[in-house]
Formats: sequence, structure tokens, C-alpha cells
Amino acid sequence: MANSLAISGVNAGYGSVRVLENISLSVGHAETVALLGTNGNGKSTMMKCVMGLLRPTSGTITAEIDGERMDLIGRSTEEIVDLGIALVPEGRRLFPKLTVEENLLLGAFRKSARGAIAANLDSCYETFPRLKERRRQLAGSMSGGEQQMLALGRALMSAPRILLIDEPSVGLAPILVQRTIDKIKELKERFGLTVLMAEQNFNQAVRIADRGYVIVHGQIAFEGRDADELNNNELVRKFYLGL
Amino acid sequence: MISFDLLINAIVAGVLLGGFYAAVSVGITISFGMLDIANIAQPAFILLGSYAAYIFNSAFHIDPILVGVVMTPIFFMIGIAVYRLYYYCFEMRNEQAIQGLAFFFGLLFVAEVSLILVFGVDYRFVEAPYIGPSLHFGMFDLPLRMLIPCVISLAMIGALQLYLSRSFIGRAILAVSQDGGALQLIAANPTRIKEIAFGISIATCALAGTFLIIIQPVEPSIGRDYIGRIFAICVLGGMTSFPGMVGAAMLIGVAESITATFYGPSWAPAVAFGFLLAVLAVRPAGLAGR
Repeated sequence: MANSLAISGVNAGYGSVRVLENISLSVGHAETVALLGTNGNGKSTMMKCVMGLLRPTSGTITAEIDGERMDLIGRSTEEIVDLGIALVPEGRRLFPKLTVEENLLLGAFRKSARGAIAANLDSCYETFPRLKERRRQLAGSMSGGEQQMLALGRALMSAPRILLIDEPSVGLAPILVQRTIDKIKELKERFGLTVLMAEQNFNQAVRIADRGYVIVHGQIAFEGRDADELNNNELVRKFYLGL
Repeated sequence: MISFDLLINAIVAGVLLGGFYAAVSVGITISFGMLDIANIAQPAFILLGSYAAYIFNSAFHIDPILVGVVMTPIFFMIGIAVYRLYYYCFEMRNEQAIQGLAFFFGLLFVAEVSLILVFGVDYRFVEAPYIGPSLHFGMFDLPLRMLIPCVISLAMIGALQLYLSRSFIGRAILAVSQDGGALQLIAANPTRIKEIAFGISIATCALAGTFLIIIQPVEPSIGRDYIGRIFAICVLGGMTSFPGMVGAAMLIGVAESITATFYGPSWAPAVAFGFLLAVLAVRPAGLAGR
């Protein structure tokens, strides 16, 4: 059954500051879509709008979950997560004084994820053997790369259909960025997820993205239908890569 | 010369006292340690529990502990109501730091004065078959009025520990003060979680208050003696850990009991707080701080 996300004509901001201007984008079933842009262009704001953390001033955001289409605007964050949309937030937002396992178990708070908690925990540990080794360790005492794995694992524990990932590469060493991006691809295939990933590391994101959008000053500046189109676009080279 | 018999009995009495201290401190470990709510009115709710036991015991001769058990869900609802008031008046506007403290301070005084108006300043007590007798094992002397509260207190804390570590809401309670916003991302409403946790912290006062009036006669201002003590136990135990809190309660109980036995009761609080300072100097996170 299909899972997809459609954002249309969204305007949003903080107080009198407008951040997003007339943003439209879509993520099709089982697609990985990259939202590309440098700092301060509105990627995180877009993610917040989808998750109900910020209410757009206009526009529509709808999600199709297991074939059922739903309007997301006006719903609380908890309701949206309950529907089956999970966000791996920027800065990871783990519970630093709880253990790795406690963080993962909390991920399954969503009512429909509670039944499958044992199976999901197993597949989490299988995907991230490192987390299993460290399951009794406090989350805050782990390295940045391990914390990012835990943040991904915690989101997966809610058994989502649509996964939003905000800047998975932030604060990680280049080798870890590459590993994290590879893991996202693996997870997406393993769990049949529909993925929207905001990222400023263009080259890494484009490696696993089916399509991508480039966001500049809160507007979609370019839509690339595949990695080649993104790589070879003049706008991307000028605005984004600074070439 | 310190008598060995006296010392052993002082330690045993201290452990039993510590079990009771754990019951009065468990609520603060939840509200102050886990939720960051400095509920200094906690002793007022404990006294409310004492007086509830007194009312039903003196009027209908109902067993005080049974009254405590029956009052627990009612206290839970009172806790939820108090948290909602606190949330809408202060926490929602981010004014909890000073004004919230004043709110609980005021609540403490209003409760104390109300109790004086209704019951007067006389000492009140309850009657139950286990208040007089003691068990004797060789040189040990176990008064039932101390032993029974200690045992039930430890059982209550054990049950709460299981609830916090095994249930989804329990785990969310452990997480809520670390990052309430992140709880929303796992489909939990942080305000609802705090409300339940605060309800539980007040619910424990029903039994803790019952234990208090079983152990000693109660008058309205007696709650003040416990403000410092329960916060000290919570901090000494490491803020969020029940096993740490129980250990701290036992240590303070034993320290107070030994001091009271050998040097006189007036030194007991000084020794307990001196002990707290010494432990925090060596282990700033408390006995079991994470």
C-alpha cells in the first residue's frame, strides 16, 4: 500500500520573518528524495512544518499512509508520529541520561508500534550491531556517529512508513557521513520506507537520492529528476556548490 | 563507652526509619528529580494523608493503612489538578523558576493554616493493633509501628520502579525532563506525561502520610520538619534513582538514629545534613546519579 508525502504552496515563518515561500514538493512511494541547501535556507523549517512543530501560514501538506490520504496541517506532532511519520531531528535529540536500549524502547511509544517492539528491537540491533554492544551505555556518552545511529534506530522503532531525516551529516567526520548515508539507504530498502532527507552535503546525499530539490532562500530553486540532473545543473553549480 | 546492644538497636531503628523516609521522599524524587518541579508543598500533601487516616480512623475505626491505600487514587487526581494549575499559570509561560516556587510555598502555608483551622494545633494520632507491640529477635527490637511502614514503603517503591522501567509511560517519565520536545517526536505528549508523573508523586503522599501518623502523633506544622529532609534524601540519592534514594534514606535514618541515641535528638538533623555535604563533596552527582 502506498505511502507518500505531498507539500503544496507552503508559506511559513517565525513571527514576521518569512522563511518558506510557496514551497511545493512531493515524495512518491518508496522514493528517497533529497532536500538540498546550505544553512539557513529553510530545510529544517520545512521538516518542522511536516511534523506539526510549526504551522504554515498557507498551503497544504498531505500524506498518504497505507493508501489512506490525510491532511497533516492542524494536527499535533504526536498525532502525526502516530500516523506513521517519523523525524530524525537535527542535533539528534536523544535522551542523554537514558541508556541506548531505553532510548530505543521509548521509540516504540507509538501505540501501533508497541506490539512489534521485540521484533523491531532485534532488527534495529541487527542493522546497528554497535548499538547492541552499547545497549547499557548512556546515550549521551557515545560518539556523534553512534548517536546518529541511535537516532535513526529510535525513529525506526516507531515502525514508520515515511521517514524524515534532518541533516544526518551534521557534526560527523567525513568517513562517518558516508557510513550514515549508506545506512539510510540500507534501512530504506530493508523496511520499504519512503524517505525525505534534508542535507547540505550535496555529494553524499545525491549518492542515494532518487530525486532532489534545491532550496535557496526558502524557495525551490531547482528540481532534479535524478542524480545526473542535479549534478549537471547550472543553478546547483552556482548557488549551491559555489563553482 | 558505647554499648554494642544500643548501637545495633540504633542501626536497626535507623534502617526502619529510613524505610519510612523513603516513602516520604519518593514523591520528591519523581517531581523534583525527574520533572524539575521543586514541589516544596510535598509535606503538606503528606500531612493531608495523615489527617485523612486520622479522620477515618477516629470516626469509623478503619485501619489507617487501608485508608491510605483507598486515598491513593484520590491523591493521584489531586496531583493532576495541582499540576494543571501549575502548568497553565507558570510552566506554559516559562515562569516556573521563581513564581512556581512561590506557588508551592503558598500552597504549603495555605494547607498548614487550613489544617490548623479545622483540627487545631493539638497532636492527633491513630489507633491500630500494630502500633503498640514489638517483635524481638535476640537483641534486636523491631517495633511493628516502624516495621510495617518500612516494609510497605519498600514494596511501594519497588512497584513504582517496575512501572518506571517497564511501562511506556514510565520510560517517558524518565525522559521528559531531558528533552520534552523530543518526546513529541515519539508520539508522547510531554505535558500529559508530566501530569501523570506529578499525579503519582502526590499519590504516594496518601500512604506516606498514613505512615507518618502511625509512627508519631501529628500536628499541622510538623510537615516543615520534612521539607529539608526529603530534599536532602533526594539529592543525596542522585536525584532520579529510586535505589539511590532508598539508600540515602537509610543512611540518613541510621545517622539520625545513632546521633539521637548517643548524643541527643537535637543533633540529629545537623548530622544528617553534615552527612549530605560530605557525600556531595566526594560524589557531586549523589550516590546513584547518572
